[in-house]
This record gives sequence, structure tokens and C-alpha cells, in this order.
Amino acid sequence: MKSPTISAPRSSDRRRWPDMGRALLKVLDRGAPLFASLLLLLIWELGCRLFQVPSYLLPAPSAIVQGALSVSLESWLGHIWATLRVSLQGYALAVIIGIPLAVALANSRLLSRTLYPQLVIIQSTPIVAVAPIIVVVLGAGDAPRVAITFLITFFPIVVSTVTGLLATPPAMLELSRSLGASRLREVKNIQLPFAVPYIFSALRISVTLAIIGAVVAEFVAAEDGLGFFIAFSTSFFKVPQAFAALGVLVTLSLVLFQLVSLTQRLLFPWSLPDAEK
Amino acid sequence: MTTRIEPDGSRPAIRFDRVGQVFNGSDGGSVTALEDVSFTLHRHEFVAVIGPSGCGKSTLLRIIAGLVKPTGGQAEIYGLPVTGPREEVGIVFQQPTLLPWLNVRDNVTFPMKHKHGRVTQAEKQRAAELLAMVGLEDFATRRPNELSGGMQQRVGIARALLHDPDILLMDEPFSALDALTRDEMSFELLRIWTERPKTVLFITHSIPEALLLADRILVMSARPGRVREIIDVGLARPRSMQTLSEPRFHEIANHIRAQVFRPAALA
Ligand SMILES: Nc1ncnc2c1ncn2[C@@H]1O[C@H](COP(=O)(O)OP(=O)(O)OP(=O)(O)O)[C@@H](O)[C@H]1O
Ligand SMILES: [Mg+2]
Repeated sequence: MKSPTISAPRSSDRRRWPDMGRALLKVLDRGAPLFASLLLLLIWELGCRLFQVPSYLLPAPSAIVQGALSVSLESWLGHIWATLRVSLQGYALAVIIGIPLAVALANSRLLSRTLYPQLVIIQSTPIVAVAPIIVVVLGAGDAPRVAITFLITFFPIVVSTVTGLLATPPAMLELSRSLGASRLREVKNIQLPFAVPYIFSALRISVTLAIIGAVVAEFVAAEDGLGFFIAFSTSFFKVPQAFAALGVLVTLSLVLFQLVSLTQRLLFPWSLPDAEK
Repeated sequence: MTTRIEPDGSRPAIRFDRVGQVFNGSDGGSVTALEDVSFTLHRHEFVAVIGPSGCGKSTLLRIIAGLVKPTGGQAEIYGLPVTGPREEVGIVFQQPTLLPWLNVRDNVTFPMKHKHGRVTQAEKQRAAELLAMVGLEDFATRRPNELSGGMQQRVGIARALLHDPDILLMDEPFSALDALTRDEMSFELLRIWTERPKTVLFITHSIPEALLLADRILVMSARPGRVREIIDVGLARPRSMQTLSEPRFHEIANHIRAQVFRPAALA
């Protein structure tokens, strides 16, 4: 049923214009992020040309595209795959170890008192500084790179999951205890589901950290991967290529971030904040 | 969890024996929630507990539910000291405590899923009946956040009744309901209780509700919670809307009102 509203009478031809204007505004509003990016690229391009900035300092977008095209597709895919492989392995390891560890920490005072300080120490250590040591210890291959990625992604997952598990409403735990269910079921049926929003916010942050971890590792020791490619290109002053690789990295991060969000949306729609449902 | 024991008619269903409860507050001080509470519920008796906010009513319920160990005295069910949650007890909590990721039907069967890992066909059937009873059959597949507070509370009631508990503990179950639904639910509860007799401990803030439902009313004093008076309601059963207009109803109601609002010093 339509509720009566008070509106001023309008003539029909006067109504057409505001409608079109509104449609245009809507398009502008939808496309605002895209338009802003395009405008920025345009300013960048024009600025570089106007002030004749040398491409080894700041390449124009067109130079970056050229740089990207100067490398074979096969070579690109090889580097992307190397970075992705390391990122996802380190990330998966962090999830597989981090979440059960968080459950243990949240449920045991002894564990949280003994293990948690160690985790904080690990987290406080600059991973970039430790990376060369890890490479020496773990030798060549993916292992040291996966380890470095793991170390970077692991901590946010543990901390956020513990926070989520401990945020379970006490009334819910009381319900669970009143039913006399096992501790394991309590974790599985009550605590973990309540932690899902926390876990996913950590998973989103960590997946972008995983890319950073892989790149850091590739800076230290690697013969492929986008991080390696950037280090390699800049050492030969092929800055446009390096920028192109940077663009690929950003895209990769964004895609992974969105994939994690999509997973939450598909598997746990109830865990989304009301505004996003 | 202790195993289900056979209720024994000769023993009181619930007994509080000089129960006391002192909580240590986060600021270092301590709160005496309950002091020297002694009270007995006979088998299949309906007892309402009434008292000012914060006098320890919920704490009393938690103690008999085996969720809190009293710091003094002892609580017993069928003559055995309560050491933990028990199978024959059903609880309706003060908050609805529904799981937001389960739909209404799965929330009702959740106790079975949680305890035994699975839900039988018979339990599903019973859940459907209970949902119809609380007027929510059309909402079985909705999520709790799509329900009003009163509807959520009704789901909680259906959940507590699922395993047909011999002892039912209810903590202000109708406080989120509007007056009309409240009366309706009260009569519904009386019907269930008559059909399948249970020992009921029913916490409420509403004097008319207590009078309408209970055999006896336990009136508690403000902190520290003590037994101020135990009132035999003595209104004929089955009770109906007419009960509300009986002279004795108003007589007791006024008496309780005076009791609850009387300062503790004069008690
Ligand atoms: N876990 C706890 N820790 C510390 N103090 C508590 C705890 N639970 C209850 N209390 C205190 O015990 C007293 C009684 O609480 P309780 O919840 O039993 O009151 P109530 O009679 O149910 O009140 P209401 O009618 O408002 O629900 C309160 O003063 C409260 O502050
Ligand atoms: Mg209470």
C-alpha cells in the first residue's frame, strides 16, 4: 500500500529534466572510482610528458604498458605463478596452523600464558631482517619463501581468531554448558561460528600480507617471482617493467582479497554485517 | 553430566538447603547475591519466584541448573546434590540465546545436535509441533534476526521443551512479550504443564503472572537475596481469565506488592 505523501504539484515537462539529471548523477556516482582512477592516470601521463620526467625515475603509464609488453607472456605467467604459489602455500599453512592454535590459546590459560608471549616476540621481530637467516637455514627452493610468508600472515590470523573465540556471548556458553555437551562440540558448534566474522577479517588482511611475504622472500633469494622480477628489472634500470610488475602485484592482491570476501559471502552469509547483506 | 535418574515421588524435586552465593566483583569487592536460601519444590509443583531486580533470582536458577556452584549450602535434585547440568532439566534463559546462523527449526533442535551430534526424525517432528504451539510454524526456516524479541523468546521456550524435561527452569521467559501474547503464553504453559506435569521454577517480575501460574510464590528480598515469604496461592485450577477477577487474586497481589516494596530493614 502506498502511504500518502505530501508533494508539490509539478507539470509533466518540468519533471523530465530532473529525471535525466538524476540518471546522469547515478552513472557518475557508480563510476566515480573508475573515473577518478582514469583522471589520475591522465594527469600522470600528461605530467610525465610535460615535464619530461626520465622513465627510470617515474615512467608514464604508456611507458609502463610498453615495458609490460616487452616481456613475453610466458615469462609473466611464470613469475605470477611463482609468487602466487609461494603466497598461497604460506597462507594456507598459516590458516591450518593458526586457527587450531587460536582455539587452543582461547581455551587454555596455561597455553595462552606460555605461548602467547612467544608469538608476540615473533611478531615483533622484523621479518625482513630475519628473511636472509631463514634462507640460509632452509636452503634453496620454495621452503624458505613459504616460511617467510607464513611468518608474516600467521599472527593476524591467530590474534583475530582468539579475539573472536573469546567474544562468544557468555549466555551462549552457558546454554552450551547447560546441555552438558563436550568441550569439542562447544568449540565447533558455538565458539568457532561466533568467531567467523573475526576470522574472515583476519583472512582478508592476511591474504594481502601473503603477497607481501612472498615478495619480501623473493627480494632476498629467488630466481623467479614478481618480487625477483622487480629487483632484477630495477638493477638494469628497466623501471617501466618494474612498475608493470607492481601493477600485477596490486591486481593479484585485490583479486585474492575479493575472493576471500566472496567465500565469506557464499559460505557464511549470516556472518556479514547487516549493511553488507 | 550425570545420568538421568528416576524421579522419586517421596523426595522433593528441588531443594535449596541454606544456599548462599558470594561473587567477587572485578573491582576487588564482593557481592552477596544470595544468603541462607532454603526452599523445597515438590514434584510437579509450579513455583514462581518474585523479587526486586538484582536480588539473585537468576543466580538461584543457575545454581539449580548446575551452572554455578554455590559458595554456601547445597542444592539438590531428587535428593542428590547438584554437581553439574542434568539431563532432566530444561532451561529458558533470560535472554533468548539463539544461534544467529541457524534457522528457527534448527535452533529448537539444537540441544539434540549439540549433545548427541544428530537429530532424530521424531525430534524434528516434535520441534514442528512445539513451533506450532508457540505460534511460529510459519517462521521455521527464518533466521533469528528476522524475528522480534518476543518471537525469539518463544523459540527459546520451544527449545527448552523439546526433550520434555521433568524439571523446567524459566527465567522471566515472557518479559519480552506484549501483554496479550503474555497471557496467551501463560495459558499455553499451564496447558503443557497439565498435560505433561513438570516441576517448574518460574522467575518473573509480574505479580499477576505469578498468581495466574503458580501453586506457590517465593518472594525474595533485595540484595542480599533471602526468602522473605512463601505464599500458597490457593486459587482453583484450571485457571482462566476469570481467575484474574477473583477477590483472592487481588488480595494476594496487594499483599505481594506490599512485601516487595517494603524496605528490608522492616522485614
Ligand atoms: N557472574 C557474576 N559475577 C559477579 N556478580 C554477579 C554475577 N552474576 C550475578 N552477580 C551479582 O549477583 C546479584 C544477583 O544477580 P542476578 O542476576 O541473580 O539477579 P536477578 O534477581 O536475576 O536480577 P534481574 O531481575 O534484574 O534479572 C547482582 O547484584 C549481580 O551483580
Ligand atoms: Mg535475572
